[in-house]
Amino acid sequence: MTLKDPEGSERKYLHKFADFAGQRILEIGCGEGRLTWKYAAASALTVGFDSDHDALRIARADAPHDMQKNVHFAEASARDIPFANESFDIAILAWSL
Amino acid sequence: MVHALDEIRRTLKPNGVLIDIRPVEENWPVEVNASTGYQVAGRLTDVPIALADDQAAFHAMREVESKGWFFKEKEGEFSYFYYWDTPSEMKDFMDEEWEGFEKLDESVFSAVKSAWTMANADARVRVRVKMLITKWISGKINNIAEEDENKNPA
Repeated sequence: MTLKDPEGSERKYLHKFADFAGQRILEIGCGEGRLTWKYAAASALTVGFDSDHDALRIARADAPHDMQKNVHFAEASARDIPFANESFDIAILAWSL
Repeated sequence: MVHALDEIRRTLKPNGVLIDIRPVEENWPVEVNASTGYQVAGRLTDVPIALADDQAAFHAMREVESKGWFFKEKEGEFSYFYYWDTPSEMKDFMDEEWEGFEKLDESVFSAVKSAWTMANADARVRVRVKMLITKWISGKINNIAEEDENKNPA
C-alpha cells in the first residue's frame, strides 16, 4: 500500500502560505479532491474543477459530510474557466501547472 | 499554459492569491527509513518528458510575471514522502503510476532491496519528492478597451 505524506507537510505549507478562512477558493486540477480536503473546511466556498470525469466522481463520493455544503466540483478545462470575472479570493494550482 | 493563467487571473478578485503547489524533478532520493533513522539507497532518474513539463511551467510563470499578471510574494520548498512497506510495493506503484515520468534503475532497485533487508524490522521504503510552493498576487486586469486606449491615446 502506498502511504502519501503521512507527515502532513503539504497541509502545513498550504496553510502557511494562505489563510483560507471565509474565502472563496477555486482549485484548478482538483482530481479526486486529495488536496481539497486539506483546506476547504474553513472556506466560505470551494470549487474544484478538473477535466477528468472519473476523478470528479470519486471526489464527490468522498466529500466529507461537513464539507458537502461549501465544496463543489465541476468538469471543466483551465483554458475556459466557467466562472465570472473576479469570483474568487484564492486560486490553487494543485500539482497541475 | 499562459492562457490558462490568464483565465485564472480573470476569475480572481483584485489582489487575489494564486497558490502554485507542485513537485519538481530532481532525481528524487529513494530512502530506507526505520525508527533508528534513514539512509539514501539511490536516486530515481528524471525522464525528459517530466523535465520538459517543469521547464514549461517555470517558463509560463516567468512570462505571466513579466506581463505583470502575477507578482511573486513568497516561495518555499518542502519534502513530500511516498512510503511503502517493501521495495516490491514501491516498484509496483512506480510501474503503474509513474511510468513515463520517473525511472527506477535496476541498480537502484537492487540497492534499495539490500538496504531494506539489512535495516531494522520496522524499515519502510520511501521516495522524497521535492515540492515547490509559490504564492502569487494577481495584477491588474487590463480589459480590451483599456488596452486599446493605451495603444491609441486621444
